[in-house]
Amino acid sequence: MSAHSHVDGQLPHEPEKATLEGRNKVLGFWLFLGGETVLFGTLFSAFLALRHQVLGGPPAEELFNLGLVAAATLILLTSSLTSVFAVHALHTHQVKSLIMWLIITVVLGAGFLGLEIYEFVHYVHEGHGFTTSAFSSSFYTLVGFHGAHVAFGILWISLLIIQLAKKGLNTTTAPKVYIASMYWHFIDVVWVFIFTVVYLMGKVG
Amino acid sequence: MASNHSATEESTKRHKVEGPKKHVIAFIFSLALTLIAFAAVMGGEINKDFIYIILMGTAFLQVFVQMAFWMHMKDRGHTFALIGILGGVFIVFTCVIMAEYWAWW
Amino acid sequence: MAHAHAHTHAVKRHSGLMDWLTTVDHKKIGILYLLAGGFFFLVGGLEALLIRIQLWKPMNDFVSADTFNELLTMHGTTMIFLAAMPILFALMNAIVPLQIGARDVAFPFLNSLGFWTFLFGGILLNVSWFTGGAPDAGWTAYAPLAGTTYNGDHGVDYYVLGLQVAGIGTLIGGINFLVTIINMRAPGMTFMRMPMFTWTIFITSALILFAFPALTVGLAALMFDRLFDANFFDPSGGGNAVLWEHIFWIFGHPEVYILILPAFGVISEVISTFSRKRLFGYSSMVFATILIGFLGFMVWAHHMFTTGLGPVANALFSIATMLIAVPTGIKIFNWLFTMWGGSIIFNTANLFAVGFVPTFVMGGVTGVMLAAAPADFQYHDSYFVVAHFHYVIVGGLILGIFSGLHYWWPKMFGRALNETIGKLTFWTFFIGFHLTFFIQHFLGLLGMPRRIWTYLDGLGFNEMNLISTIGAFLMALGTILFLLNIVTTAFKPKNAPADPWEDGRTLEWTIPSPAPEYNFAQTPLVRGYDAYWKEKMDGHKGMTPAEPLGPIHMPSPSILPFFMGVGLFIAALGFMYAPDWGDMFDGFKAGYGVGIFGLLILFGCMFLRSVIDDHGFHIEEEEILKDKGGKA
Repeated sequence: MSAHSHVDGQLPHEPEKATLEGRNKVLGFWLFLGGETVLFGTLFSAFLALRHQVLGGPPAEELFNLGLVAAATLILLTSSLTSVFAVHALHTHQVKSLIMWLIITVVLGAGFLGLEIYEFVHYVHEGHGFTTSAFSSSFYTLVGFHGAHVAFGILWISLLIIQLAKKGLNTTTAPKVYIASMYWHFIDVVWVFIFTVVYLMGKVG
Repeated sequence: MASNHSATEESTKRHKVEGPKKHVIAFIFSLALTLIAFAAVMGGEINKDFIYIILMGTAFLQVFVQMAFWMHMKDRGHTFALIGILGGVFIVFTCVIMAEYWAWW
Repeated sequence: MAHAHAHTHAVKRHSGLMDWLTTVDHKKIGILYLLAGGFFFLVGGLEALLIRIQLWKPMNDFVSADTFNELLTMHGTTMIFLAAMPILFALMNAIVPLQIGARDVAFPFLNSLGFWTFLFGGILLNVSWFTGGAPDAGWTAYAPLAGTTYNGDHGVDYYVLGLQVAGIGTLIGGINFLVTIINMRAPGMTFMRMPMFTWTIFITSALILFAFPALTVGLAALMFDRLFDANFFDPSGGGNAVLWEHIFWIFGHPEVYILILPAFGVISEVISTFSRKRLFGYSSMVFATILIGFLGFMVWAHHMFTTGLGPVANALFSIATMLIAVPTGIKIFNWLFTMWGGSIIFNTANLFAVGFVPTFVMGGVTGVMLAAAPADFQYHDSYFVVAHFHYVIVGGLILGIFSGLHYWWPKMFGRALNETIGKLTFWTFFIGFHLTFFIQHFLGLLGMPRRIWTYLDGLGFNEMNLISTIGAFLMALGTILFLLNIVTTAFKPKNAPADPWEDGRTLEWTIPSPAPEYNFAQTPLVRGYDAYWKEKMDGHKGMTPAEPLGPIHMPSPSILPFFMGVGLFIAALGFMYAPDWGDMFDGFKAGYGVGIFGLLILFGCMFLRSVIDDHGFHIEEEEILKDKGGKA
């Protein structure tokens, strides 16, 4: 029952689900991701409804640089893999390798965010500002919401790395790491739809 | 208790061998799907509707792969997780239909 | 093993005001929700009275047209988001964990956070009255009326940010109760043994989970339009005003079911208890609840029949809307059959429940009338619609809330409300309600549009509006009687027994009134539907415990949720007034500084919550035994 049950003894195979608190956290976070699905879905639908309203600004076909998007996709996809390795290390109780994989994940996430910021700055110079058109507003809102999620994830996982280094792996820290990794996968899944719907479909027209 | 314990250890060991390999395969699969999607768009003169179908197909397949393998959704005890996500997806579908058909006329 | 550390942590318990600010106890949070929701109910009721005073005679100038728009906007917004939902949250906090035999909710800290964000969002919305004008674009805030072109002042900013902050709290509460009901049920409490009220809260929480993120996006987009000149809903920037209507109602229609389903649950419990019969057709009730929840997401465009979606969309949404009458009808008949042949006790709680049934049927029937798209072109934007939704929300939800409050008052406060005043409350409120709103159907059919400030003489509206206003005052009298009842009851001795109605069927009646901090000294073993009633019928005095008596682990109180609410409040004000407050230093607006300061408070609290492990504390066996001895 208590969060202390296994601290001193052997950790179970799935330490994130060893306590009721941990199971509650994992389930609650799954449901939260269900809500996040609706959140991003609504943003996508607003973008879909407004994507042809470019007014005087550049249309999607001319604007988007697919090379940059492909690079960002590769980085984020790889970071999703490294966060899977982190969870694997969690399940095999290898704290050092867990911390290492989390650090790599955060670094990749920061790289993705850097590319996105560079891309946004570039677009603004092309005359595609936030207030240019309904297309630009909905584009920056959708992709920006995703970017904000990445930024939050970076801060969150960094904080967890510090906690892991200080407190080690136990039944309190394990669920935190596990749901942070779920969050990171979810961000990756959302990005799959962003590069498909926003960039690739935008390029097709 | 003791037998339970060794069973856990055994499954941990098995996990060690199979786990990362399985994830790398899923990763390669995701990369391939991403490549197909980008190639379809950059490749040139294919029918527009056909490209849309390829894009949606690869996107959903990739999400399925990632959710099932990386988010452990295919494992036991994920009934309510699945309901949560599918419920959200269902609402998203209605939103997309709205945006495509009922926003402009 | 689990209790090895029981003595190492000092018991952290606050008292007085600090106790209420830091509490993570679901029963106390329930009372906080009731206090705050009750306060906003009075505010919204006052706004309603001012509206009815303005309309009691033709060409009245009691309030100005601008004030009237503010009143009707704030009345709707306050009643839905700040009164009805919080009072439902009060009931679910106070009762659901007890009904499923749980010691607490799944996330006690988040539960407290949900309350404080709701409260600060509500306060933010109402601050607008004192800072130069409340929102006045209707509770639906349709674009482009809600855009900066037609609403240049800060009124709608308060609407957008206040609801955004309050909405976070609601979403948190929804997830919390979903996990609580899925993971924390007592042994033997299968899904198909759950009390009906818990079932409806379960489905309502799922609707909150899937509906509120849509509102979050809609409000964020409207906020970007207003504060940062985005073009989502502004046609001159390529935006689409109808998109707002869609997003609002994709959230807004499920919201209606979020409100009414818990009332269905209350009515099911009360009618079953006071008919001394098992709820008729329990499994069909569960199925109907799920079906209503599902269909609730498929009908949003029936609010938009006259927008011009075309015959296909209108036909689809028309049929889907009418379909909802089927599961609702199942529920109505089940309540009637529950009463059929029962030995019915007409106390206050049951009067409200029985009064609910025909009243809600009337609201449902006008709903089906409105669902017929061609006919809706006639009813649309008239008082017929006003009458319809007040019949389902006041005649449905508010009667349900009154019923639930009278029913569970002893469990929440240890004192039963006075029956004589209670019955007087029911009759004044019930008659007042029908007097106010029944006549509005005919006003609408005669052609009186809704949301108008005043009307001309000689249109045939005069007498009916006068009657409606008289009814509104009768409802106000009913509410005052209820407050009087609360006050006089508060001075009576705290002597309600565990099972004050003597016919309690569910687990909350097996524990003392009010429930001790840990709810159940020993987790009960559930052996069937209506768990307590089953034990009574089998001749047992109480529940069979599922565990031995032992120390109980409790979560620590925390002040962080309160400050997170404060942080959001400050951040919202800062961003809202950034255009007015000038620069802090060159090129950086002071308002943004304030906004970032507020967000820093929020993130600082989140940081602290993550870093500091909550070990909680234990309530020892001796204390539990002492409680037991005292009450037995």
